[in-house]
Amino acid sequence: MTSDRKWNGLTAVAALFAASLLASTAALADDPIKIGSIFDLTGDLNIYGIQQSRGLHLAVDKINADGGLLGRKVEIVESDAQSQQAKYTQYANTLLMRDHVSALFAGLTSSAREAIRPIARRAKVPYFYSSLYEGGACDKQTFITGPSASQQLSVLIPWAIKTYGRRLFVMAPDYNFGTISAEWIKRYATDNKAEVVGSDILPLTVTDYSPTIQKIQVAKPDVVVTLPVGANQTGFLEQFAAAGLKSKIALVSSNYGSGNQQIALSVDAARGIVVSPEYVSSAPNPQNAALKQAWRDKFGTTDPIIGPAIDVWNAAMLWAAAVKKAGSIDEEKVIAALESGLTLDAPNGPITLDARSHHLVQSIFIAKGNDTRDFDIVEARDKVAPVFEQKVCDLIAHPLLAKHFTGLDDF
Amino acid sequence: MQVDVVAITAVSAIASAAVLLIATLGLAVVFGLMGVINLAHGEFLMLGAYAALLSTRHGLPFWAAVLVAVGVTAAFGAAVEMLIIRRLYGRILDTMLATWGLSLVLYQAAVMVFGAVTPGLGFSFPSVAIGNYGISVYLLVLIAIAALLSAALFALLTRTSYGVLARAAVQDPQMAAAIGIDAAQVNTATFALGCGLAGFAGAVLLPVVPATPGMGFAFVVKAFLAVVVAGPLTLSGTVVASGVLGAMANVTASVWSAVLGDLLFFGATIALLWRFPHGISQRWRLKL
Repeated sequence: MTSDRKWNGLTAVAALFAASLLASTAALADDPIKIGSIFDLTGDLNIYGIQQSRGLHLAVDKINADGGLLGRKVEIVESDAQSQQAKYTQYANTLLMRDHVSALFAGLTSSAREAIRPIARRAKVPYFYSSLYEGGACDKQTFITGPSASQQLSVLIPWAIKTYGRRLFVMAPDYNFGTISAEWIKRYATDNKAEVVGSDILPLTVTDYSPTIQKIQVAKPDVVVTLPVGANQTGFLEQFAAAGLKSKIALVSSNYGSGNQQIALSVDAARGIVVSPEYVSSAPNPQNAALKQAWRDKFGTTDPIIGPAIDVWNAAMLWAAAVKKAGSIDEEKVIAALESGLTLDAPNGPITLDARSHHLVQSIFIAKGNDTRDFDIVEARDKVAPVFEQKVCDLIAHPLLAKHFTGLDDF
Repeated sequence: MQVDVVAITAVSAIASAAVLLIATLGLAVVFGLMGVINLAHGEFLMLGAYAALLSTRHGLPFWAAVLVAVGVTAAFGAAVEMLIIRRLYGRILDTMLATWGLSLVLYQAAVMVFGAVTPGLGFSFPSVAIGNYGISVYLLVLIAIAALLSAALFALLTRTSYGVLARAAVQDPQMAAAIGIDAAQVNTATFALGCGLAGFAGAVLLPVVPATPGMGFAFVVKAFLAVVVAGPLTLSGTVVASGVLGAMANVTASVWSAVLGDLLFFGATIALLWRFPHGISQRWRLKL
């Protein structure tokens, strides 16, 4: 009796073991594929970060609804960088070493990207950077889905010269995005037989723009190319309008609106400012309509969706396409698939991931600020190439290249 | 150089000085009069801006919104004085630490409550022409506001019994107490006055500087320097210091660049403090 009972107990334990073993192997096959996300969900950059994170969540929802990848679900491991530079390094290391994520989607500022890039490189994990930026980043593991400065300005500046005239004035922030963009503006002006008649490179802490406005009035330009960064510089547009200059001088910008800055301005100040983003929320295609509907359903807001959110969505979709094509989440195979000229019908139009430069050939819109704190499309250019990056960065021929090209001398 | 260029440069330089003065007066009262280094001054300014912004969104006219902003920040300032500052009089470093902490809390709270982008005022001001050049009418209004505010503050602190009490409570608290002045109450009022002035600044600058959680930071450094340069005669010293420094930086920025304007501002501060270690008003024969 006793031995019988013992025997029964033993089989029960064995059965339990077997069951748990079975369960764990079953769990392995169903284990989700983890991807890492680091965006600024709090702090003063969350104006972009929250929307970037939402873009990723919507994309992953769609991937999972369509059956997941390789029969597995995709799961986001999310970190909040709190608008602090040091957190990017910390969380990138944590996500790669603790969570073993298969891909990393992270960062808004160039400094964040430059902090993450070497970490992703060491871990050999594909890293997606999704924001407009100054251009020229070149690295085997890094894929860039936002437009570069030259990509946007190559459309905007010739259009502005043709529409408004040949005298340009540049107002730009005093760090690499601003100074590099200013160089490009000068170059595209010269190429189109126009002239930069003055410029003002401003620290981010300036709040009183009367000196800039005076310089503009003295220089008498046809058009001011303004690249306001941060809340303080948005004040320039208000002060420009208040000085009564909008009736005489046109305003164009490659970055205004990328954080919904038009919401903070008065309607008078926001009206008529011409921008050149990679995405506007009124982009007329079915993918965009579907995305906007999904966004409203999930987040319950009708705030205009910003470019960086779409850049993240595109990044996630390209990664998913690469995983399917590679038939594996092995990082090397996924990177090879990403370098196979992937194309996608994105919410902002057809996009192609350029194999050599790891940048996107994508749409650039010319759009004008309207009275409802949004933008009307004036013109849509499909398939604008990142010409500068294609010229300087060839990661197929030089896979070991890891460089940030900044000078136009490289061009 | 044409006359109109000189005229517009002069007007815009005076306007810059006026903006700096408006942003500094609250600090001048709290630091100059009470000796309290309030590192949360910029956040009080931000609080005033948001208070005014929300009031206009609820349908109040702009001038009434400014009054609401003054009331809200003054009341909040009084609470801060009673809960924090009062316990730390005479402990300058501890006060700095406490107000710095307060500034971090207020900044993050604003980010959480208002987000990083808040819809702006929604109306703009017309411009006037000086020769071939235009300038916002509101900048001229700000010059008038700065002048009126300084005069009113001077009258309040020299001509009213509150002014005498306030200065007595700070200059010799024991003697003031001996003759029956409730120093604690007077100090609460003075701190609230300083905070109310900061709130006023945030509100009246709203048409020029959009309300953001970090807006105070842009003003607070220069405001502090102006108050330090001013020296013992808080009010007249501050008027002269922000007038000279603000106008100089503006002209430099107009002619050369904003970076050079900032450099000159800081350079002039260093030079003035080197020449007048106790501030420029040390030997002036004025009341305040």
